Amino acid sequence: MPNSSSAKNNILHAVKGYQEALDHQQELIKTGTDFNEQKGQVANTIATLHPKRLQLVVSEVIEDTASTKTLRFKAEGIVLPPFQAGQYINLFVNIEGTETARPYAISSAPQQRGYYDLTIKRVADGYVSHYLLDDVKAGDRFQSTGPMGTFYHNPLFHGDDLVFLAGGSGIAPARSMIINMIENTLTHRKAAQKLHLVYASSYEADVIYENELKQLEKEHDFLTITWLISRPTEKYTGRTGHVNAELLTELLGSDLEKLQRKMFYICGPTSFHDFCAQQLEQLKVKARRVRIECNGPPKHPETLTGWPQDLIASDKVSVTINKADGTQGQFEARVDEPLLNSMERNGYSAENACRSGECSLCRVKVVKGSVFNPQEARLRSTDEAYGWCHSCVAFPTSDIEIMV
Amino acid sequence: MTDFDAIVIGAGNAGLTAATALQRGGARTLLLERHNIPGGCATSFIRGEFEFEVALHQLSGMGTEKSPFIMRKIFTDLGIMDQLNVVEERELYRVVLPSIENKDHEIDVTLPANIKALKKTLIAHYPDESENIEAYLTLCEKLSLECFMMLPRAQKTGDQTVLESTCPLYIQYGLTPSKDVLNEFFTNKDLKAVIAAYWCYIGLPPKDIPFCDLAVMIYAYAAFKPCHVQGGSQAISSALLESFLAAGGKVLFNTGAEKILSEDNQVKAVQTEHGDIFSCEHVISNTSPLHTFNELLDIPTPQQASDDMKSRRLGTSAFVLYLGLDCTPEELGVTAASNFIIDDRDEEVAFETMQGIVDPTHTMLTCYNHDDPTFAPPGKSSISLLCLQYSQAWQDLPVEEYAQAKYDFADKLIDHAERVFPNIRKNIEEVEVATPLTMMRYLNTPGGAIYGFQQNTQDAAMFRERINAIQGLHMAGSWNGMGGFQPTYMIGESTARAVLKKLKNTQSEIKQQELSHA
Ligand SMILES: Cc1cc2nc3c(=O)[nH]c(=O)nc-3n(C[C@H](O)[C@H](O)[C@H](O)COP(=O)(O)OP(=O)(O)OC[C@H]3O[C@@H](n4cnc5c(N)ncnc54)[C@H](O)[C@@H]3O)c2cc1C
Ligand code: FES
Repeated sequence: MPNSSSAKNNILHAVKGYQEALDHQQELIKTGTDFNEQKGQVANTIATLHPKRLQLVVSEVIEDTASTKTLRFKAEGIVLPPFQAGQYINLFVNIEGTETARPYAISSAPQQRGYYDLTIKRVADGYVSHYLLDDVKAGDRFQSTGPMGTFYHNPLFHGDDLVFLAGGSGIAPARSMIINMIENTLTHRKAAQKLHLVYASSYEADVIYENELKQLEKEHDFLTITWLISRPTEKYTGRTGHVNAELLTELLGSDLEKLQRKMFYICGPTSFHDFCAQQLEQLKVKARRVRIECNGPPKHPETLTGWPQDLIASDKVSVTINKADGTQGQFEARVDEPLLNSMERNGYSAENACRSGECSLCRVKVVKGSVFNPQEARLRSTDEAYGWCHSCVAFPTSDIEIMV
Repeated sequence: MTDFDAIVIGAGNAGLTAATALQRGGARTLLLERHNIPGGCATSFIRGEFEFEVALHQLSGMGTEKSPFIMRKIFTDLGIMDQLNVVEERELYRVVLPSIENKDHEIDVTLPANIKALKKTLIAHYPDESENIEAYLTLCEKLSLECFMMLPRAQKTGDQTVLESTCPLYIQYGLTPSKDVLNEFFTNKDLKAVIAAYWCYIGLPPKDIPFCDLAVMIYAYAAFKPCHVQGGSQAISSALLESFLAAGGKVLFNTGAEKILSEDNQVKAVQTEHGDIFSCEHVISNTSPLHTFNELLDIPTPQQASDDMKSRRLGTSAFVLYLGLDCTPEELGVTAASNFIIDDRDEEVAFETMQGIVDPTHTMLTCYNHDDPTFAPPGKSSISLLCLQYSQAWQDLPVEEYAQAKYDFADKLIDHAERVFPNIRKNIEEVEVATPLTMMRYLNTPGGAIYGFQQNTQDAAMFRERINAIQGLHMAGSWNGMGGFQPTYMIGESTARAVLKKLKNTQSEIKQQELSHA
């Protein structure tokens, strides 16, 4: 009995119930363990659901369109963790010595546990997309985060009447959701759900998964697809234009109550998000019936409200990095480049996943100077007062010193 | 010289408090945290327009500005009191036992956060027991004072006669099962259920809770007011971190400790998950002893720690829904921040249901913007809907079934709460579901435990010796004291004090050696 004998406690024998508690302790010791048999259990349980890193290998490169490929990633060693259709992984890359990463939605369905598909569209002035499209081949190895993000169908309140507004590569999570619905219907026979996909592309040649989606629409009653081309060729006979209020009213009706019962998912380029969200607002659809996927840092922070007046996009500032081990580093950065990107280009890093201001993994503390935090930065209410920012969407607006 | 005087593993309440007190006390301190933000349980997260409080329901021990209690002093000493906007809560809680057929609720009682008003309210609801209520509340008050003041003194003297003369109530009631005391004082089952509702904050039914714990809780909350802080517990965590950094402390986020390196049963260094090794004299572990001794320490678990753990049982975890609602608290029918919705007057029934993934019988709904309108966007409500639950059933599920099981149970929890607050589901704007495995992921605790070990009578500190088998290794957190906010802040502070004292002693020893060599 190791614990009860200490002098200060001896007097407690006068307390009613003290002896009973000691007896209980002895009883527990007899049947208890020191938990050594549970070694590793917490880490293993977490790793099966939410691994921090996945080791992936490209098993196939599928040509979708002239500007888009689907890279198929298999896991090395482990089974891929489950995910919810609509979620993304953050893919780490090393491009000529620069360690960086980009989030991509998983375009394959959750039922497919053998691989994840990522559908990559070329971004004209991009960096990582060119590398993934031009340099990556079967057999190449990558690391990624586990599946993340909050853009998925939540059965608790999303309901069964779904509308997905996809622009360009925004079709990737939509495809995952559609196949997921098919698989679910097959297993649960719960056929009440329906999905109306409005899929906008710039050019006819740009339309990703065209044949597959057309086939699925034919085979499944729950799925309706409206195709939209914004810059059609002369011979194009389908719908043209943008996803605006007029179109949505035509497709979905104008009964507000019915509209309110639907759940709208928006995924595409930032301008597409903003435009669609505006149109829905115009139709008086409540914010709670609209889910918008995050989509990276703003491309032109200098055009946003709150940006310092006298600062031009091409201005440069000095960034000083203080590490916990006491060492310091320094580099120059453009004010319109996200801090995380310039850090990575200069050999520094911060943990990251969404690269859109949402997940807060890339938090760093600004000890001197100032940064611009756009509305993408989902900071906690006390962050700004203490100088914490989300480096993936923070722009240095003066010489700064940060702690990593 | 070592890299640091002390390394704190984990930035939960106890870790942050310990690190801040150490650094401000002159010890060169490194704080390691595997997550990306400070706080452990005491954090928040953002969904849409909402910033959700993860864990804090009612902060105890603050007192008011006029009559401050211990937590204000601790926060002042840590240099953060002036940064906190404290919000006093008006009610302790509301208990509802909903009727089955749309009639009036079988029980519906709201207890105000004020001793006198509390007594009045209880008597108004249960006039037949007015004398018992008076006697019971008087006992709670006197027993609390014995626990705060007299008992520690008596223990110091080691003199039984002192104990007998100064702590008569403690001797009679302190360690008696709460259930027995409730039965001794009251006959009305409703009243017993209403007055014992805080058992949830401990996680065991009243038959397993020593009465001193239950008595102190109701008395202290009523006398010193339950509080909240604007910005949530994250505001406290962030302020502590800031104070730590301002004093010169170093912190590494996204950096778990991987090994505690020792030599001749003396702490030498800590190795991080990234492979860095930092030498130090003291390690304060804010993580569980299971993780600390069985996994982090580089030698087999010392006998002393192993023996101690054998008499412990894992405590409960929780299933929580964080709800951002598109309606005001008034529209929802909220009249108190903290609400217990119960199906049965017998807490043991609820405790039974905590073991598996079965229909909840006991839920707790907290509305954060009832007392603090800044806690949600205008016109909306920030709610947490919680039910205590052990993790085993979740660990046993195949991973493919996890998501569906999570939503199914969340649905039931909403159904349960909707019998009192009928319009939850149709107003949901944001929702996040946390299961016991979510707790495990973010807290790294076995079983996703939120209060540490099961807090039955023999679990208390007075039945325990400090585990000192490894020189320089100290435990601070819910696992070696009580769970909850106030206890963990306090244990962080007291552990830091002990370590500072040791550091001072070794420094003066070194000085003396240098002098004698000179
Ligand atoms: C959650 C999520 C899911 C997504 N899913 C998909 C999807 O399924 N399919 C899809 O196609 N797209 C998807 N996207 C969009 C996709 O992530 C972007 O299209 C992708 O980031 C494009 O990469 P890019 O580097 O080419 O463009 P950007 O990242 O926009 O390129 C410009 C950036 O590169 C930086 N940069 C330039 N030079 C360097 C250098 N030398 N070192 C470091 N940084 C440098 C610049 O600072 C600039 O900010 C998703 C985005 C998010 C947030
Ligand atoms: S990486 Fe997610 S917020 Fe920056």
